[in-house]
Amino acid sequence: MDLTRGQRAKITDLIANGEHFRLGVAIQAPGLSIDVACFGLDAAGKLADERYMTFFNQPTSPCGGVRLSAPAGAAASGPSAAHAGGPSGQPGDQTCFDIDLGKLPPSIERLTITAAIDGTGAMSNIGQGHVRFLDGATERGRFAFSGADFAAERALMLLEVYRKGGVWRTCAIGQGFNGGLAALVEHFGGTVAEPTPAAAPPQSPTLQGTTTRPPTSQASPPPASQSPPSQPKTPPLNLSKITLEKKGNRVSLEKPGHAEHGEILINLSWRPAASAAVKRGLFGGKRASQIDLDLGCLIELQTGEKGAIQALGNNFGDLLNPPYIALDADDRSGNSSEGENLRINGQHWDAIRRVLIYAFIYEGAPNWAEADARISLKTPGQPEIEVRLDSQSNHQPMCAIALLENDAGAVRITKLVDYYRGHRDVDQAHHWGLRWTSGSKD
Amino acid sequence: MAISLNKGGNVNLSKEAPNLENVLVGLGWDARATDGQDFDLDASLFMVKDDGKVPDDSHFIFYNQKTSPDGSVEHTGDNLTGEGEGDDETIHVTLSKVPATIQRLVVVVTIHDAEARRQNFGQVSNAFVRIVNRDNNQEVVRFDLSEDYSTETAMIFGEIYRHSGDWKFKAVGQGYAGGLKALAQQHGVNVG
Repeated sequence: MDLTRGQRAKITDLIANGEHFRLGVAIQAPGLSIDVACFGLDAAGKLADERYMTFFNQPTSPCGGVRLSAPAGAAASGPSAAHAGGPSGQPGDQTCFDIDLGKLPPSIERLTITAAIDGTGAMSNIGQGHVRFLDGATERGRFAFSGADFAAERALMLLEVYRKGGVWRTCAIGQGFNGGLAALVEHFGGTVAEPTPAAAPPQSPTLQGTTTRPPTSQASPPPASQSPPSQPKTPPLNLSKITLEKKGNRVSLEKPGHAEHGEILINLSWRPAASAAVKRGLFGGKRASQIDLDLGCLIELQTGEKGAIQALGNNFGDLLNPPYIALDADDRSGNSSEGENLRINGQHWDAIRRVLIYAFIYEGAPNWAEADARISLKTPGQPEIEVRLDSQSNHQPMCAIALLENDAGAVRITKLVDYYRGHRDVDQAHHWGLRWTSGSKD
Repeated sequence: MAISLNKGGNVNLSKEAPNLENVLVGLGWDARATDGQDFDLDASLFMVKDDGKVPDDSHFIFYNQKTSPDGSVEHTGDNLTGEGEGDDETIHVTLSKVPATIQRLVVVVTIHDAEARRQNFGQVSNAFVRIVNRDNNQEVVRFDLSEDYSTETAMIFGEIYRHSGDWKFKAVGQGYAGGLKALAQQHGVNVG
């Protein structure tokens, strides 16, 4: 069934089982960055429970009735790829929601699929787009739209599934707001707060009031209604950080429309040694040792050239020339809030085939648990990605943290967090093929 | 307490409101909450004989022709008086003045310029029609059309009709493509 704007239908007319199906969304939008979300609303059309905003930082509703899932056929292209599990092979969708209406609580009367532009642009600039109903792998209904349907809107309600008189129905909406996500959220009864201006690091926009904005841009929050600072009822959503929890979890950073990634900043931080030292000193043990973690990477270019970048051996790399990766100055204490930084020149990501991020303990006994280290990966216009060095193995000084691969232009990031005796073992485990000799930083 | 009708239901106005004479037909819908081109909705009324056609074009009451020749039907347009709270447009009907040849008063709402603006009733929310006794300001019957419409650009909301000497009201909720022009033609109006 083709749905046109304004058209309504019963879910049972589209989906025989009437209850569980998949909504696949795609919007061709060269040069635009668009976030898709699913809002679970109450009878008044309000987002009474912000946990029912389903998007890539909050991929599942509490009841499990709405679940962000990877578009099949592009298993690694969505941040939610770890949740992929459904039927595979639905080309053409960029975002999918697996819906099980039977699991939704009675308070949720309406699921609205939305799209919002992050950054500049208007919906009149988009190409073709669709929201479609999938029963298993079979398409049962499609609402197609294009930029010609819109003008200056920057956020859209695309389609909704709603309960009316005990019957689930759908309506192709295709209407939106020039005020973008902020206006959309306001329509759903919430407010979007500006990030606290003087707050320390460039963190995620804080969430105040009842709802939130999806997470891509840290740079330019919508010019929205400012809400007075108030205590949120529930802890704020982490709006701009993705944590890769388990080994093998992966996310992909797609190119932001206009063809080039920004600078990818990889930061290694760990617990300052001071606290650990004091504790150990009190118990009269051996002299507290400073933990010095070094950040480095193995790199392979598309040309087949390979190398390693790390302070040890003074291979600091080069940001403007191959290998387009550079290491900042060495932080030997961990006290610096900056920790250690590795930068990848996103403009030249196309030249890079893969990068393996690692950390090793150069001095001091390997004590990963004490160090409580983590890397964060920041890219302009993308959510921050965090990988903790967990599942520690304290007798091995080397940790392969994450693998970055060039997946048709996207940056595919996979959590590794495997511990090794040294560089050579990491190299062998990942078939890099470098020759290693021992070296010193000084 | 007003009666609330479902689509297709009807009520005997003469029984519900004995001696009903001065009727207000109130029509409403929610203004567009989103941005984009405004919706311009117009209410109209066809006074038709038992063959479903108007006796002549003067019995098509709309924004360019607001009063019937007999004075029984008057389109009061936008609700500027405050009368009939919540109505977007109102039509006054004086039942005793309706000519005997007129069997039904068909109340329709159309979206102006719907095709060019690519608008339809599926995008209009909370539409209703209600019949109010103007003599005591009591709502007699109400029909909420929500979810009974979709891609149509013209809707028959309801009709007031004669039945065995009484006046009845029927909740129609029937949509049509083609806007006001198609509806007018269907009811025997010559439109240019």
